[in-house]
Formats: sequence, C-alpha cells, structure tokens
Amino acid sequence: MSIFKLFLIFVKIGAILLGGGYVILPIMTSEFVDKRNLVSHDDIIDYFALSQSLPGIIAANMSMFIGYKLKGKYGALAAMFGITFIPFWCIVLLASVIGAFINNSYVQGALWGVGVAVIALIMLTVREMWQKSSKNTFFYIVYGLTLATLLIFNPSPIQTILLFTVLGVGYKKFTEAKQ
Amino acid sequence: MIYLLLMFEFFKIGLFSFGGGYATIPFLYHISEVHHWYSIDELTQMVAVASITPGPVGINVATYAGLKSAGILGSALATTSEMLPSFFLVIIVSKLLRKFSDNFYVKSIIETLKPISCALLTSVAIGLLKPEIKDVKAMILLAALLLISWKSKKDPLFYILIAAVIGIALRFF
Repeated sequence: MSIFKLFLIFVKIGAILLGGGYVILPIMTSEFVDKRNLVSHDDIIDYFALSQSLPGIIAANMSMFIGYKLKGKYGALAAMFGITFIPFWCIVLLASVIGAFINNSYVQGALWGVGVAVIALIMLTVREMWQKSSKNTFFYIVYGLTLATLLIFNPSPIQTILLFTVLGVGYKKFTEAKQ
Repeated sequence: MIYLLLMFEFFKIGLFSFGGGYATIPFLYHISEVHHWYSIDELTQMVAVASITPGPVGINVATYAGLKSAGILGSALATTSEMLPSFFLVIIVSKLLRKFSDNFYVKSIIETLKPISCALLTSVAIGLLKPEIKDVKAMILLAALLLISWKSKKDPLFYILIAAVIGIALRFF
C-alpha cells in the first residue's frame, strides 16, 4: 500500500470520528483489521492501551502507532496529517461563519447548553480517572496535594506537573529502595 | 514572534496532557490567562464547537485556539505542534515496546502523571463552575446530565446534543 493510500484512509477516519474516545477502537478495528487485515487485533488492542498511557491526544497517538507500523516514519506523518485534514477545515470554515450567527438567540441558547455539558463532561472524565485508579493510595495522595496546591497558589499547569512528577517519582524511588 | 510562542505552548500541551481531549483544557485556560489570545468565554465556545465537529476534540480545540490566536497559519502550527511530541514518542515506544513498559522511571512517571492530570481537570471544573453557580437553570441541567451518566454511560456527543437542544428550548419560555 502506498503512503498516499494510507493518508486517505486516515482522512476518512478523521471525518467519521465523532464524539471522542468511545469510537476510536471500533473504527480502527473495522478499518485496519476487519476490512484490510493490515494489523492484527492484538496489535490494535496494544496500541489502544499504549496510546492512553502516553501524553497527547489518544486518537492521534493511535493513528501514528498504526501509521508507523505500516510505513515507518512517513507512515506516522501520513497518519498525523490524514487524521486532522477534514477536522481542520471544518473548524476553519465554521469559525469563519460563526460570527454571523453568534448573536442569534437560539445559537446563544445552544452554546449555553453545550457550555454546561462541557462542565459535565470534564467532571465525568475526572470520575473515570478516579474509578480507574482503583483504591490506589498513591493516586489519592498525589491528587489531594496537587489539587490543594492548584487551588491555593494557582501555579501554571507545567510548573505543577514538573514539581509533582519529581516528588512522585522520588517517593517511588525512595520506597523501592527501602524494600 | 507570536508563531514561535504559539508552537512552544502547544508543543507543551502535546507533551504534558494526559487523559484525552478534555485534559488539554487546563493548558488552554492557562494560555488565555497569560497571553490573552482569547477570553475564557471564547474558550468555552471553542470547546463546544470542537466537540460537535468531526475529529478528536483535543486536536479540534487546538486548531480553533490557534485560529483565534494567530489566524490560519496559527491554527496549522498549533495543531501540528500539539501532535509533534506524540510523533516522537510513538516512534521511540514502537522501537522499544517491551523495554519501555518495564522501565522503572517510565512506569513511575506515568503513574504520577495520572493523579496530577486528574487534579488539573478538577481545578478547571471548579473554575468553570464558579461563574455558573448562581444560574439555577444551569445547575439543574448539570445535575440532570450527571444523573443520566450515573444510570448509564453515554457517548460525549449525547450530552452535548441534549444540552444544546435544552438550551434552545429554554429560549421559547
């Protein structure tokens, strides 16, 4: 398969990817395992798990794993630009026309509702992360200390991440040395 | 040199955000506070649009934020910069797949980043909630959405569409 064909597959995936995390796994499985048999099902599951444990956007990570597996560096680039191709132009077009509608009462109503839904979605993400931590004391302690620091001192996200990662890894090293 | 600054900010997001598209919001919040490229109200609107257009939310919102900050070149740079750390990490991890997941430091860093990201998201939720707290309708809608999620897990798009419809319907009363 050519790089361009791979790019086109990812363009299509980018166009049908709606809603986020829930649909990534089924879409990737259908495109690369069921339809084309290019990647094994075990590999797909591996990539999905790895994509979640790496920083960055999960769907983009997973696309790049598959692209790299199939066509190396250029495959990963084809995946990266493919998956963002349609979404990019959608945003640019929508942003250029939204100004005309933004003061419409119904558009305002819809945006108000979506604003509330976004808060709910953020709270649900927090809850999901809690549930996945499965009664892990280390998780609760780091969470509590980080949140307290954020609420009291309002540091930047990067400062917070660097400080607590150093502390957390140091603590892990210390307890490992003791064992 | 807004373009260089923009690339640097979004590269950092790609390198440090954990837990999916909404986990990038704390960083975008911070960018708004420091650089004033867009307001917090605009950010909420951007997240709303990013959630209903195709593509990963985290990428879409970067595209939109880049556009607001520095036009179409800005949006291309923001989107690419946010994915660049992933590009390198994916190649490194693919090459060292087994070694990677067994390394003590890699494991510890990932295990520490999870509660930190979760705390960052919590603080953003609190920040977004504060101005809404006096809005009784918003609080009722929020409670209803959370209640639905308690009963059964739904796709994020479901909450967004239902909330948009309710928001429009309320304009008739």
